[in-house]
Amino acid sequence: MSTDLAARTRTADVALVTVASVIVAAVVARPLIHDLVGRPAVANFATIFVAIVLQSVPFLALGVTVSAAIGTFVPPGLLPRLLPKRPAAAVPVGALAGVALPGCECGSVPIARRLVDRGAPAAAALAFLLSAPAINPVVLVATAVAFPGQPEMVLGRFLASLLAAATVGWVWVRMGRDDLLLARKDPHVHADSRALAFVQIAQHDFLNAGGFLIIGAAIAAAFQTVIPREVLTTVSGNGVLAVLALAVLAVLMAICSEADAFIAASLKQFSPTAQLAFMTVGPMVDVKLIALQVGTFGRGFAARFAPLTFVVATASAGLIGWLLL
Amino acid sequence: MTTAGGTLTTLVGLMTMRLTIDDTFQRYVRLGMRPWLLLAAVCLLILGLVTIVIGLRHGTDRADRDHGVGVGWLLLAPVVALLLVAPPSLGSFGVARSTPILVTAGRSSLPPLDPSAGPVSMTLLEYTERSFDHDGRSLDGATVTLTGFVADVGDSGGFTLARYQIACCAADATAAVVTVVGAATSPPRDQWVTVTGTWAEASGDDPVVQAASLREIDEPEDPYE
Repeated sequence: MSTDLAARTRTADVALVTVASVIVAAVVARPLIHDLVGRPAVANFATIFVAIVLQSVPFLALGVTVSAAIGTFVPPGLLPRLLPKRPAAAVPVGALAGVALPGCECGSVPIARRLVDRGAPAAAALAFLLSAPAINPVVLVATAVAFPGQPEMVLGRFLASLLAAATVGWVWVRMGRDDLLLARKDPHVHADSRALAFVQIAQHDFLNAGGFLIIGAAIAAAFQTVIPREVLTTVSGNGVLAVLALAVLAVLMAICSEADAFIAASLKQFSPTAQLAFMTVGPMVDVKLIALQVGTFGRGFAARFAPLTFVVATASAGLIGWLLL
Repeated sequence: MTTAGGTLTTLVGLMTMRLTIDDTFQRYVRLGMRPWLLLAAVCLLILGLVTIVIGLRHGTDRADRDHGVGVGWLLLAPVVALLLVAPPSLGSFGVARSTPILVTAGRSSLPPLDPSAGPVSMTLLEYTERSFDHDGRSLDGATVTLTGFVADVGDSGGFTLARYQIACCAADATAAVVTVVGAATSPPRDQWVTVTGTWAEASGDDPVVQAASLREIDEPEDPYE
């Protein structure tokens, strides 16, 4: 047996044994799991966890398809030629390009990563990453439905999200550390066939993003089960504190950007500016997204990028809310 | 190209397909997601199967082994969990923890119901809105039918009825809660019931319905409003 064949067989064996043993272990533990899900708190956690995962599957599929298409069909030199030469000028272009991607935040992370790999300035790709889940038509329509008779809320969301995405991009141009971005971990692409390359990239991105999505969904479901939301209503009267409280809530709840307007609208005891902060921060930074960013761009990157985004998004919402609402 | 990765993707596709076809998905996401879930499931199945075929044919070369599946193994967690037991729809546990629905009074006038038309079936959310619209004027004299699950059983025989509204998935659920008074029996928590009754003046935060009759039912196909 040649070494190549031996190695091939070994990898397949390990995978088979892992899958089989996980399934056998789960079947053996079945009564235990049944008993666990019988407890209301565990059932609540499990339902929300499955809901977040299931909700994300279509968007993730869309995201990895677009990402694989970029990786396969966009020639390496094209993006740098299309975008403005100066990164500072490319940032608003990236932010505005977010209008074109329908869907929520899970899909935009692998796409942004692929844009960087195809030569787009990192700051512009990051601006796209932040703006896409917040300002696309689907989300804006959902916002209009959630806030009937308040078109200023839709406009406010659009402006605050665009402002936050562009500002983070510009800050990244000046003080960002592109070296913190994980070195590209592309699958070994067989250059002989585009179809093969497409499958490999989609497969790689799906497993990577999907795995980190599981971590994020579990954390968000745990927070939702443990924290009673009424603790927040105690601070709803205080202007600045209320804005901060809803910004933090958005990070912990990790609601899909297509649905967060409905939650924001139901938080009626908070000021419109606080509601706007909830809708601006949520699509840009939440526990699910942080997990995805750690996996896609690296831990060092996420440790800087997430706090920066949180501060800028909250401030943008505060400013636009003060001017507009 | 790893066969293990392809197997995982196929499994996630199968899980999504199964939940969508047997309607279990309605416990977790909105009904309208069905076509998108099906489409995603088919895409993942194709992607996974093609990967497996390529992996078997071309073998796993060095560069691929270095990458491996890594964090993707975590995708097994929901697959295996759902294989064993599908978590129930949201129940009474989360009602007190979800965002309270606040309806601003006196904003608009809802068209009144016709008292002679027989029982009107409506969502708990609509009942809440009507109750706080000019002190329930639009409900005056009409008989309504409300369906929800028992969220809490009070000491004095009354109970609260609740039902969640979801916009996308169960993670964004908010609950509408109605207090039921005058029912002959008090069903256990999380039991689904249909209450027929008339509007009564609210004493607390929740709207009140004076029950004329009460029927225990199975959980509706779509547990959310």
